Amino acid sequence: MTSIWPVLWLCARHELVLAVRSRWLQLFAVVFAALALAIAGAGYVLSGGHGLQDFSRTAVSLVQVVLLLVPLAALVFGGLALTPERGAAELLYSQPVSRGAILLGRMLGVWMALSAAELVGFGAAGLVMQSQSGIDGWWRYGALIGTAVAITGVFLAIAALLASGNAGRRTRVLATALVVWFVAVVVFDIAALGAASLLRSGSASRLLIAATLVNPVDAARTGALLAIEGTAAFGGASLALLRFTGGPATTAGLVVLSLLAWLVAPLVLAVRALSRADI
Amino acid sequence: MPTALLLAAALLQDPAAPSSGGLEGRPPADQASPIQLLIDRAAPGDRIEVPAGTYAGDVFIDRPLTLIGLGRPTLLGSGHGSVVRIRAADVVIEGFAIDGRSGGDLGRDSSGIHISAPRVTVRACQVRQSLFGVYLYAADDVTVEDSEITGIPDRDPGEVGSGIHVWNSHRFSLQRNRITGVRDGMYIQSSSHGVVQGNRAGQLRYGLHYMYSDDNRFEDNVFEDGAAGAALMYSRRLVFRRNQFIHNRGFASVGLLLKHCDDVMAEDNLIGDNARGVFLDGSYRNQFRGNVIAMSDVALVIYQSNGDNVFAGNAFVGNLSPLSLVGKRTDTRFDRNYWSDHGEPDLDGDGLADRPYRLTSIFDHVRGNLTAADLFSHSLAVAALGAAERAFPVLDPIPVVDPQPLARPPALTAVPTERTAEFRSAASLGPPLLLLLVGGGLLAAGGRSWARSAA
Repeated sequence: MTSIWPVLWLCARHELVLAVRSRWLQLFAVVFAALALAIAGAGYVLSGGHGLQDFSRTAVSLVQVVLLLVPLAALVFGGLALTPERGAAELLYSQPVSRGAILLGRMLGVWMALSAAELVGFGAAGLVMQSQSGIDGWWRYGALIGTAVAITGVFLAIAALLASGNAGRRTRVLATALVVWFVAVVVFDIAALGAASLLRSGSASRLLIAATLVNPVDAARTGALLAIEGTAAFGGASLALLRFTGGPATTAGLVVLSLLAWLVAPLVLAVRALSRADI
Repeated sequence: MPTALLLAAALLQDPAAPSSGGLEGRPPADQASPIQLLIDRAAPGDRIEVPAGTYAGDVFIDRPLTLIGLGRPTLLGSGHGSVVRIRAADVVIEGFAIDGRSGGDLGRDSSGIHISAPRVTVRACQVRQSLFGVYLYAADDVTVEDSEITGIPDRDPGEVGSGIHVWNSHRFSLQRNRITGVRDGMYIQSSSHGVVQGNRAGQLRYGLHYMYSDDNRFEDNVFEDGAAGAALMYSRRLVFRRNQFIHNRGFASVGLLLKHCDDVMAEDNLIGDNARGVFLDGSYRNQFRGNVIAMSDVALVIYQSNGDNVFAGNAFVGNLSPLSLVGKRTDTRFDRNYWSDHGEPDLDGDGLADRPYRLTSIFDHVRGNLTAADLFSHSLAVAALGAAERAFPVLDPIPVVDPQPLARPPALTAVPTERTAEFRSAASLGPPLLLLLVGGGLLAAGGRSWARSAA
């Protein structure tokens, strides 16, 4: 039994090369960088030029873009890259290495490619923000980038699960991916708010707070905004959240736990589904 | 008969037996400052210069004098009452550090400087460890300027007095003072025609607090980090411009609070980064023009008990929610304000957005009962709800509307800009550059050399 690391690494590199060569990644990199630049450029203007927390407000808008665009890109890319297709996949998965290792390696490669595109976008935006108002606190900037990379991983894992469960049916994978994206970004929140409006205020608060931690998009947004803006991010609701979870440290822990769960659980399921798939 | 009068006067001045609620008089000999001898020997109008050093004991000034501290001498109070008691008109006191030693009694108005005579000037003094900083007690035409009041740190707001307390004193002038760690920075009661200008008050309950004080003006002040930047109560015809009400971020903190205030004019103020921007209760005919109200959780809290208030030409920027309405309706008028979250186009190019701005929405209705709903306030779901509400207005919440909102932020050049510590050193360009390099490198490497080695 040889180590799986060389396999992982080889697959990751292979996938990175494929991703970089694809027009899709280039397009994503350009769109992402353009949006980040536009937001960074508009941030100072929008604050009315009155010097109040320019970086924070710009960062909030960047978080919004990250949480809209990145899950979609990750799901689509993951779906395209990881769905086993006739031909290449047949050859690849017939090699004497575990299917799981191949899947993880390929997912890692896509993750690297997407993260690289995000880093370019954030780097450009950072330069603009720096030239306008200065960035106070590098850890805030770090929180922003960490959020983007983490949420990329989470939705790649979900894409891997969709892809492994639907071997050879790429269209179906992409369609499901779109539904997942829409649910995660919009439907879940509306459902949570709707359910909360039917409950009494105590249990409604608990439901909403639990909902923000369960949905990876909400967890990432809540964590990132609290890290960047402090309790000003959601006003009184921030304090309600902190009181519910028992402090900033446990809140951070719960957010990380939620994201980790959403990264690991779909991957485990994906590996299991793939090992049983008929390719 | 004359001896009896003298006796009565002596009794009145005896601190051992103060008449209840009366003014503090001459300190007893063992609590008096060595400076007292100089004052008692001075003729009216004399100028007394006090060299640097520490002088223990309280000071009683009963004749017009100019008392100058050279090299900021310290007047260390007895800890039994006010440190400097000014009972004569036209006194000037300048350049002292005054230490109240956390002593005295709130009920007897123990202060760093206690003034009960007109036309007194306090200049460039530092008052610390004192229940009240400077107390104006029925003292008209008093000026307090360039002074610093630091209060008694770590004490509950109920256990300390105000930084500058103005009671029944008209035409006062408070200029360029810095106040921290007291209950209210400047507390003004039953006093009119005063000016408060260029002061900075923070880390306290209210930066500025008016009670029953009409016809006052305050300008160019900074009120930060308190339960309320300024609390205006039961006063009429206040005018204020170019002030900053900022960083009042406590759970129920307010930038600017009006309670039963009428005919107030607020212009060119910056009300930013507060839990709640402007709070209006029981107030009539107030005008808010050309202010910036930014980055609040709720920009405006308006009670039904108000009437005829007008917000015109203000910029509402980056607030989580524009309005929290307490009650069923309001007649507050909104006219040509800028709302950064409006996002409607201006196709005819007249500078006004083509659709009115609604200050109330379904989401506000939900969050009105439920604080935790704000956790979703940045969610796309809320934007979707708003869009749906505009498209299908089946649920019409309480209509509060700016019929002609500005399409672009107005150029409010008179509004002060918060000075922030900026660090724009070349070194801090590093991280973004590093990101660019790492990201670009990965992409480039993926496209070229690795491809070759893999092949």
